Amino acid sequence: MILEVQNLSKAFGGLMAIKQVDFTVDEGQIAGLIGPNGAGKTTLFNLIIGLLKPDTGKITFDGKDITGLAPHRICQSGIARTFQLTRSFMHMTALQNVMVGWVYGGGEASSMKQARVESERILEFTGLGGKYLSAAAMLGLVDRKRLEVARALATKPKLLLLDEMMAGLNPTEMEDAMQLVKRVNESGVTVIVVEHVMKAVLGLSKRVIVISTGEKIAEGTPQEVVRNKQVIEAYLGEEQYSLD
Amino acid sequence: MVKNWKKLALGGVIVLVALVPLMTQRTDFLTWFTLILLYITLSQSWNIIGGYAGQINLGHVAFFGVGYLAARYLWLFGVPLPLALLAGAVAAPLLALIVGAPVFRLRGVYFIIGTLVFAEILKHIAWTAIPIASVLPAEYLTAYSLVPRYYLSLIVAILAVAVVYVISKSKLGLGMMAVREDEDAARTSGVSILKCKLSAFIISTALAGLAGGVFAYYATGAYAGSVFEPIWTFDSVLIVFVGGAGTVIGPIIGSVFFVLLQQLLAVYLPGGFHLVVFGVMFILVVLYLPGGMVELMGKRRR
Repeated sequence: MILEVQNLSKAFGGLMAIKQVDFTVDEGQIAGLIGPNGAGKTTLFNLIIGLLKPDTGKITFDGKDITGLAPHRICQSGIARTFQLTRSFMHMTALQNVMVGWVYGGGEASSMKQARVESERILEFTGLGGKYLSAAAMLGLVDRKRLEVARALATKPKLLLLDEMMAGLNPTEMEDAMQLVKRVNESGVTVIVVEHVMKAVLGLSKRVIVISTGEKIAEGTPQEVVRNKQVIEAYLGEEQYSLD
Repeated sequence: MVKNWKKLALGGVIVLVALVPLMTQRTDFLTWFTLILLYITLSQSWNIIGGYAGQINLGHVAFFGVGYLAARYLWLFGVPLPLALLAGAVAAPLLALIVGAPVFRLRGVYFIIGTLVFAEILKHIAWTAIPIASVLPAEYLTAYSLVPRYYLSLIVAILAVAVVYVISKSKLGLGMMAVREDEDAARTSGVSILKCKLSAFIISTALAGLAGGVFAYYATGAYAGSVFEPIWTFDSVLIVFVGGAGTVIGPIIGSVFFVLLQQLLAVYLPGGFHLVVFGVMFILVVLYLPGGMVELMGKRRR
């Protein structure tokens, strides 16, 4: 397993945002993380990436204890993250956005020239070819989401945390996004997807973890999870989810 | 083709500017140019921390002042000018290192106020500790010529612009801009926020200290406190924003406009009126033209 979260807890004042959460993710997988709004999914991502420090618990990544490390060190160790509301570097070009990831992320140092070449390649891979020199502020939502993924990929991650990538996308865009996630995974990156759009989660994930009010309430294959009574009560409602 | 044309034009401008003292003896022209070049250096130095790294350091004058004091007193004491200038360019970032780590712990408005307060404290110390104006000794005054001051200001200005240019194309520049745009997104992309801020701060203050040294050589007489007056900071900030923050050319354009306006308006209107004009321009830039004059030029081209 590439990521192991053990007994993780985080409180904000009196509020337990994450309560003794355990789970693992195997290398090469696409894992889904689902749950109602406010369940703590983004908080969990922030804890893994180091933007928040856990109160208790341990996070082990690729055999290394990364609990409490600074976010830039965790990034350099191989975990990258996209944000729910895209956080591109607005007054920089798409190319510059991605180059930040390449020069500061994991892997060996490279020259600026090489960084530029590689960043252009990654922009092509995420479907932004031809928009290298556009300021991020000029890009539409869909392209900014691609840019988030491109910048994250530029840090050469072994694990990519995607936070609600499908939000605001129409069905065609969602299909494209799912294809992109699959291509990323096929290139060797383990992915954890936080999603509300069930079709996307179930279509992409081999394994699903369900969080509700800070606690893990279920874990298993998509098939198992959609039939779990607790999950249905807390989150899915009474409908039966088709897996095609 | 286009790139060569630009380089040629740049070379041409530098040669022309270098030839000015040979073409005119007028002290007003030479003074204007020397001041423009000084402001280019001072504003470019602020551009690094404020324009590229996005840290609104309102205590910038403290580093200009420290550079001035170090260079002035060493030079008047007999130390060769280049060494005195170097001392100024080193003293300022040393101060920055001492102040930097604690002051960068402050967030947002508190950082801005903190830097301003720090500079004000140094100003009060300077006025109190060195109440007597430093005037050039008689031999220096009779031998005083604007020409070497002009050339020193020119060389330092070229250096400042070169530094900003190199930063803008470098890894550090990318990191600084990322810090400016979104700190958390920068962190999760592998950027060490503190390292970038401190690097920007040190380079910025070194250039400010060097500018102080240039002024130390230029000024026939000055009160120590006067080189710590916040107006130097605000002039730099205005120039950077009106010219175009986070660009290489912005502060150059801004400095030219600023000094010309300052000198020309002083003839017709009460002293300091240029600040009203620039203040209004600043507000207009913030509201309607965040890219400054550089953006305006870009729009015209399109």
